[in-house]
Amino acid sequence: MDNIELALLLLIALTVLLMGGLWIGLSLLATGILSMLVIPDLPIGKVLATKFWDSGASWTLAALPLFIWMGEILFRTRMSEEIFRGLSPWLGWLPGRLMHVNVIGCGIFGSVSGSSAATCATIAKIALPELKKRGYDEDVSLGSLAGAGTLGILIPPSITMVVYAVAADVSIIQLFLAGFLPGFLVMALYSGYIVVWSLLHPEKTPPMDIHMTFREKLRESKNLIPITLLILLVCASLIFGWATATECAAWGVVGSLAIAGWSGMLTWDSFWASVIGTVRVNAMIMLILGSASFLSAGMAYTGIPRGLAEWVAGFHLSPYALIAALTAMYILLGTALDGISMIVLTTVVVLPMIKSAGFDLVWFGIFMVIVIEMAEVSPPVGFNLFVLQTMSGRDSMDVARAALPFFFLLVVAVAIITVWPDIVMIVPKWAYPD
Amino acid sequence: MRRNPIRRMLDGLYWTTGVLAGLSLVGICILMMLLSIGREVGFNVKGADEISAWLCAATAYLGIAYTFKTGDLVRVGLLIDRLSPGVRYATEIVVLAAAACLTGYLAYYTLDMVWDSFRFHERAQGIISIPIWIPQLGLCVGAVVLFISVVDELVRVIGGAKPCYEREPPKTVEETIERLSETV
Repeated sequence: MDNIELALLLLIALTVLLMGGLWIGLSLLATGILSMLVIPDLPIGKVLATKFWDSGASWTLAALPLFIWMGEILFRTRMSEEIFRGLSPWLGWLPGRLMHVNVIGCGIFGSVSGSSAATCATIAKIALPELKKRGYDEDVSLGSLAGAGTLGILIPPSITMVVYAVAADVSIIQLFLAGFLPGFLVMALYSGYIVVWSLLHPEKTPPMDIHMTFREKLRESKNLIPITLLILLVCASLIFGWATATECAAWGVVGSLAIAGWSGMLTWDSFWASVIGTVRVNAMIMLILGSASFLSAGMAYTGIPRGLAEWVAGFHLSPYALIAALTAMYILLGTALDGISMIVLTTVVVLPMIKSAGFDLVWFGIFMVIVIEMAEVSPPVGFNLFVLQTMSGRDSMDVARAALPFFFLLVVAVAIITVWPDIVMIVPKWAYPD
Repeated sequence: MRRNPIRRMLDGLYWTTGVLAGLSLVGICILMMLLSIGREVGFNVKGADEISAWLCAATAYLGIAYTFKTGDLVRVGLLIDRLSPGVRYATEIVVLAAAACLTGYLAYYTLDMVWDSFRFHERAQGIISIPIWIPQLGLCVGAVVLFISVVDELVRVIGGAKPCYEREPPKTVEETIERLSETV
């Protein structure tokens, strides 16, 4: 059987298993077994056990549960109120006023959390009712929360980036560093959109109702000090290389516990709830990662990835056309799969193409994170849309429509980093000049 | 209502492995802090990297059965959520049977790996030279308990019970947020 036929067969098998409702990790495992059946004398079961062991017992990967844990702890604190109260007095002068709390608040929470849905939920929990009460336009409010929530995975730490780093075998720290500037870029695009929108619809922005002296403003913001310190601690240890990614994650956990304790939210129950929550998220991801590494091994034996890379190279696409095609493919995949599965499923076949087209793998990681962000804010399985749909009580199509402008802003972000890849690469190159 | 002892024992098993996974997580964090602080004060934690790698595997795999039971393992619901109850029931049974075969296969070969490590006295390559089957037990026990939980679920669903991984839709906004925050 030649490779194209085999590739098609595996693709069909995987699609049937996934759509039939078999758990994603197990679907990958089954496809892996299938791909190895065509190779004579391969001890498939032994390869399976070894791959699971090697991918699980990894010191680099130990950063993953710790970063998840950090987010789980902070999610259970009063951080959302503190961020809202601390930010809102300072934003009244901007066109769009408190709407910018959504963007900046998510940016701040995103730099301590690695999850998009958790970031969205944390900020929306307080900002959505407050903005509605004050008479802000609900559609823009919902849309900006959906869009800005995805900053959780773009601004480090990021669970998605850890998974990509492991799948693509690039440095977690470099990938984290590469996420900062694109994170600011996306924030600037969102805030810019809000500014333009409010200038076009001045009647829809209520007047500023917070009047405080500078001193009062500072007092309102003092609760932001601990989280700011935590962000600085995590960022500094990444940039200056004081600690490995795993140690940095452990510091993040301890810092988060300290914040939770300081605000009086740390009880034995909440501590244990955060541990068990972490175990569940982590186990879900690890089953997918373990199976994916097994599937990758199977694919490597068959030679499909190389064949596909050569086949795609045969079209002589320009790098831009390749990125455009991949963006379209990922948007399509994102309608059925979550971000983690998208990464582990596609890296094995896509990375060889990307390398031969001359893209940097760290750059491509950021590209993938942004296309996953698009999936989070587009129906039918955008997690951020689910979060906002339940929190606002609005219809799912309403929320999806409100998020649409922010989806397109992410497309713009992809275009910008493709044309100017330095936005992604300048920080990691500055910190690790080699 | 008194639950039957087998049910209690199985649920206890999933819970216990989940707790062990949680303890491994706490262990990684403590170990990394020791390593990080120790470096500053000139105190070296011997083999911390390896131990944390083993704990990472334990955290990951010991927790899978518990995660499966609470419905946190992801799957694509686009199609099956729209099936009529009868077709849905049949699909669930086919899917669970397939899952049982696959997890059984995984459990068998992880047992085989650990048995080989034990039989041939393989030792960890690194600073800490303990027999490698000891840390590998985390993967092995996790895979076996996952297999048990899938078979358990298959038997329950065939018997007409609602799958436990299919959770009640959340009633309050807080519950929804809590649940959705567990997606990445």
